[in-house]
Amino acid sequence: MKKQFLRAATAIVTAAALFTSCTKDDPAPDQDSDTKYVLITLSDRVSGSKAGYISAFDEMPSGTISNATAGSLEGQGMGGWRTYGNHIYKMFRTADYATGIEKINVAKDGTVTAGQFISSKDPAEAAKYFGTGNFVIQDDNLGYYWDAAEPYKIQKFNPATMANTGSMDFEEKVKEMEISEVSFAAIGQKFLAIKNGKLFANLTYAKNTESQIGFFDDFYTDVYIAVIDLASGSWEKRIKIENTGSIAYINENHMYDFDDNGDLYIVTQGTHASGLGGKSKIARIKANEADVDKTWEMNFADFRAEDNGKFVNVFAKNGRLIVTLNTETLAGGPNGNINSADIWEFYSVDIDNPTQYNKIEGVPVGTNPGAAMLASEVDGKVFLRGSSINSGNGYYLYDFATNSAELAFSVNVGGAVSGFHKIEVQ
Amino acid sequence: MILRKVLVAAWVLFLTMHAFGQPGTLTGTVNDEQGKTLIGASVTLSTAVSSQITDQKGVFTFTNLAAGSYTLRVTHVGYTEYTENIQFNGQQTELTIQLSSQSNILEGATVVGKSETQQVREQAIRAVVVDTRAVAEQPTTLAELMNRSPGIRIRQSGGLGNAVDVSINGFQGNAVQYFRDGIPLEYLGGGFGINNVPINLLERAEVYKGVVPVSLGGDALGGAVNLVTRKHIGSMLDISYEAASFNTHIANLSAYHHAENGWFAGIDAFYNYSDNDYNANVEVVNENANLEPATVRLFHNGYSHYFVEAYTGMGNAKWTDELRFSIAHYGIDRESQHPALMTSPYGALIMHNKGWIPSLRYRKAIGSFVVDQFVSYSNIDRSRVDTVRGTYNWYGDFTPSTGIGESPRPSLSDINFDNFISRTNVAYTISGSHKLDANVVYNHNRRIGSDPYGLRFAGTDIDILSKEAIYAKTITGISWESKWLNERLVNQLSAKFFRFKTRGINGFMANGTDLDDYTTSENNNWGIGNAMKYTLGDHHLLRASFELTSRLPRENELFGDNDTRAPNFDLEPERSFNLNLGYRYQASQLSAEIGAFYRKTKGMIMLIPVQPPFAQYQNLDSIRGYGVDIDVSYHIGELLQLNANATWQDNRMVDIADGLHKWIEGTRLRNTPYFFANVGAVANVNGVLASNDRLKPYVHWNFIREFYLNHIPRDAEPSGFLGLFGNAKIPVTNIVPNQHLLSAGFNYFLANQPVSLGFEVKNIADSKLYDYYKIQRPGRSFHVKINYHLTKKR
Repeated sequence: MKKQFLRAATAIVTAAALFTSCTKDDPAPDQDSDTKYVLITLSDRVSGSKAGYISAFDEMPSGTISNATAGSLEGQGMGGWRTYGNHIYKMFRTADYATGIEKINVAKDGTVTAGQFISSKDPAEAAKYFGTGNFVIQDDNLGYYWDAAEPYKIQKFNPATMANTGSMDFEEKVKEMEISEVSFAAIGQKFLAIKNGKLFANLTYAKNTESQIGFFDDFYTDVYIAVIDLASGSWEKRIKIENTGSIAYINENHMYDFDDNGDLYIVTQGTHASGLGGKSKIARIKANEADVDKTWEMNFADFRAEDNGKFVNVFAKNGRLIVTLNTETLAGGPNGNINSADIWEFYSVDIDNPTQYNKIEGVPVGTNPGAAMLASEVDGKVFLRGSSINSGNGYYLYDFATNSAELAFSVNVGGAVSGFHKIEVQ
Repeated sequence: MILRKVLVAAWVLFLTMHAFGQPGTLTGTVNDEQGKTLIGASVTLSTAVSSQITDQKGVFTFTNLAAGSYTLRVTHVGYTEYTENIQFNGQQTELTIQLSSQSNILEGATVVGKSETQQVREQAIRAVVVDTRAVAEQPTTLAELMNRSPGIRIRQSGGLGNAVDVSINGFQGNAVQYFRDGIPLEYLGGGFGINNVPINLLERAEVYKGVVPVSLGGDALGGAVNLVTRKHIGSMLDISYEAASFNTHIANLSAYHHAENGWFAGIDAFYNYSDNDYNANVEVVNENANLEPATVRLFHNGYSHYFVEAYTGMGNAKWTDELRFSIAHYGIDRESQHPALMTSPYGALIMHNKGWIPSLRYRKAIGSFVVDQFVSYSNIDRSRVDTVRGTYNWYGDFTPSTGIGESPRPSLSDINFDNFISRTNVAYTISGSHKLDANVVYNHNRRIGSDPYGLRFAGTDIDILSKEAIYAKTITGISWESKWLNERLVNQLSAKFFRFKTRGINGFMANGTDLDDYTTSENNNWGIGNAMKYTLGDHHLLRASFELTSRLPRENELFGDNDTRAPNFDLEPERSFNLNLGYRYQASQLSAEIGAFYRKTKGMIMLIPVQPPFAQYQNLDSIRGYGVDIDVSYHIGELLQLNANATWQDNRMVDIADGLHKWIEGTRLRNTPYFFANVGAVANVNGVLASNDRLKPYVHWNFIREFYLNHIPRDAEPSGFLGLFGNAKIPVTNIVPNQHLLSAGFNYFLANQPVSLGFEVKNIADSKLYDYYKIQRPGRSFHVKINYHLTKKR
């Protein structure tokens, strides 16, 4: 009797232990994956602070998914991101949309959190201008960014510790072209890229004295770029992309890309005072060069002779550029199509034939990607961001052979997709 | 300077009136059966002596009274008349008179003998009445009082004087309209409002939830606040002064004299000042350019505001019941400590607002008609000054720079608004059971100004503000009130017609602009509503109402500003259908009310980003919501009164058209509390330090359930009952957490003196409180208030 009681008691305790150890809320560490597929969506339509979500998935998403899950990060500044290896950074803080650089942390259990934030040294001064936090990363421990509080300097930071580590002052060089009619001058406000030990930083010479200083208000008719030798931190030279304006922009979509061979392709949005295009082009700096390739350029006017639009992004791979182009004449203002209508269509262009635009089938004509990159490379595959008001919202797997794409997964909760990336959790 | 003059005048008036206290004075106190003082009782001695009205302590006084025999007659609505023959011997005499409540109320008749405040509470169109007069001695603000009422949330962005937004059943912003004595408050240009008027100047605040009465002449969607100014009889002087934490000073003066020939004159004035330098949790930049938390004292958050309104007129004359001419003047200086969020500090940006507002009001009853006409022309100047060359940090240290302005929008604006408003109200009593009410409000607004640092029309150096912008609207309404079933059933049917017209230049930067091409826009709309009250018995009544109404776009929504808000001349009115149900129980000890609402609002006017950094008001979303609020008040004898109320509302997005955002369908309205509750207790202790003194200690607790600043999926909301418990199922960053506000204080009324003292500690627990997008509100604060009230009734 005593034995039976002991056996029964043992069985009950064992069963209880087994069941209690398998409660629904307990994390199951052995199920956590080091590999995460991370997705960001922009849910905001009205506030302008880019509310949205970031979620991490253990497996490659498929079918229709929600991007607002138990481990998601909800917050602001969710228009896009920049990635470096296994790291993700945003230029707007999740908590309050402050400008700077914020690191996004992903835990093994899939929980996404906002990490350390590098602020402007003077947030009040930075708030007067766009662009604080425009950054590029050289290696795991060194990156460069622009801070509107010190517009003539390029700041250094450690992308691992997320701390400012100094700056490079180019005031004297920048001011060489800052004549009295120039309202604002800066270095690196809109474009920072690293290639072959050189830092390429745009030179802003603005006309505006009020809103959007430095944007669509170039004083000069050419776009100027400083070339800085990173080993010495010294100014090397000034180069230019001729007869255009508005290099890149000020958010996570950095509007340039490197081809597999190291060639750098840079977007300029053109000369229209309200950013509606005209003379928009993509220029190239070849892999082993430090100057703009005078023999090659891609012009929007070759896509449509009316020159009534612009490039807003570029993805380079395998000697091919992928871009989205406006199907209709761009219209600004409150009711304009530039930001609110499904007019942006995917095209590919072979680098050897930059006047031939090939429409990519299978991706919806969508809205302006804004801060989002137009494509992501995950598991060796290229996924195109397709987000339209009514015709689909997800990532589309691009087939180089057929120049077409098909839906990889779609997102029904959380807003417009604005970034997709794979990481190994560190 | 103006304040000093006002105070000197008040002091002279005070001395003059104090001199009335001579031998040969007959004084008395009028109480009810429970010994509670009766305010406003009419006391007469004989036809040869002017009648008196009891003051806030139930006291009447006849001075310089000759010895002799008199018939003392005391009347008060709801109480049986008291009559007594007295022999006055010329010596100072004190009487105590007790009135008995009328108990012979006819079955089926509307309960009589109620104060005006009580009558408003029980009218067919439901109004939550904030009885400011009852708490006038407390060092409290109107916003705080309203926050203790069911279904209402007042949200204030910062400390004293900062802008407030009233949320009623989830309607907020411009969907809620404000009135003073039935006149749309816009004409006072911000000089007199919920965020700044001392409660001493008000009789009460009426908050309409649902149908808005025709007599208010507004285009509110489902909520309106009517500030009813203090009613004066005879001559009076009311002075109060409050000193509080954060170098806060609030002074109020109200003086009134009504002569026997009907002529009257008076002045209402107040002065508010606060450094608002409370501690706030911010983030400062360290040597690594990282942000680290810091607690700092706000250093550029001050507020200064004066308001003076003098008036004179004639009442009770053959040709007029009231002809009143008044002129008001105000000035507001407000420092701006930070932009919309507390992300970075400002140290010099300041805003000014001043205005002159003359007005005329005429009322006359002619037979069955009552005509009430109000006209005003106001001239308002507003200015925003941001010209400093440099920036401040949170410690107040200044760093010079070359650019003008510390905000993204440097400014030295001078904007002038001319505003004309006419309100005509005609009431016609057909019979004892039927009454018609017609109301027309016409408002014409003109804006013109300059700003050397402001926006220019594209490609020109022409200041956008230099071009005139005109906005005119007319709101016409008519209502028919009828009483049925021995007046058990009261019905009020109303119809409204809305019209607006604008003229201006669409000066958005991206548009090619013809500077001579003025854009004209106009729109007409109808609205209809019905409110019904059914009295079940002496203690019970039911209410039901519905309204289909419109809210016209405001001028700033159509014109934009000279900043980042672009004009939109294509805006259409918001439309809303509201249904309200209610039950009220009223007995001597217990009163309780439960109200429920349903609303469907289409084409809400919302601010939408259009082209960075510009945003524009557009008709966008639709809202469907319902909710319930419960309000209970219980008296434990004369000693203690307990109050509690709770509000739960479920306002959700509907009719999301585009597939990309279809998931937002059914999510909660953002940035809007959905549950809040109040509990309060007020005691009344007589004879604390002297036989006739009185102490009124009180305590109030307010709770607001967490709410979200962005949309979160409906299935991720807290799963507890009605969403009241637990947390969202996703970690929400942009959340305003649960908030608790505990305040307590007391009033002390000196024995036989027209003086009372108030003391209050607000936010006793020093809790973190937020309103708009986590803008921090003041922590614990201490307030002391002294009141002096002298009344001489005719």
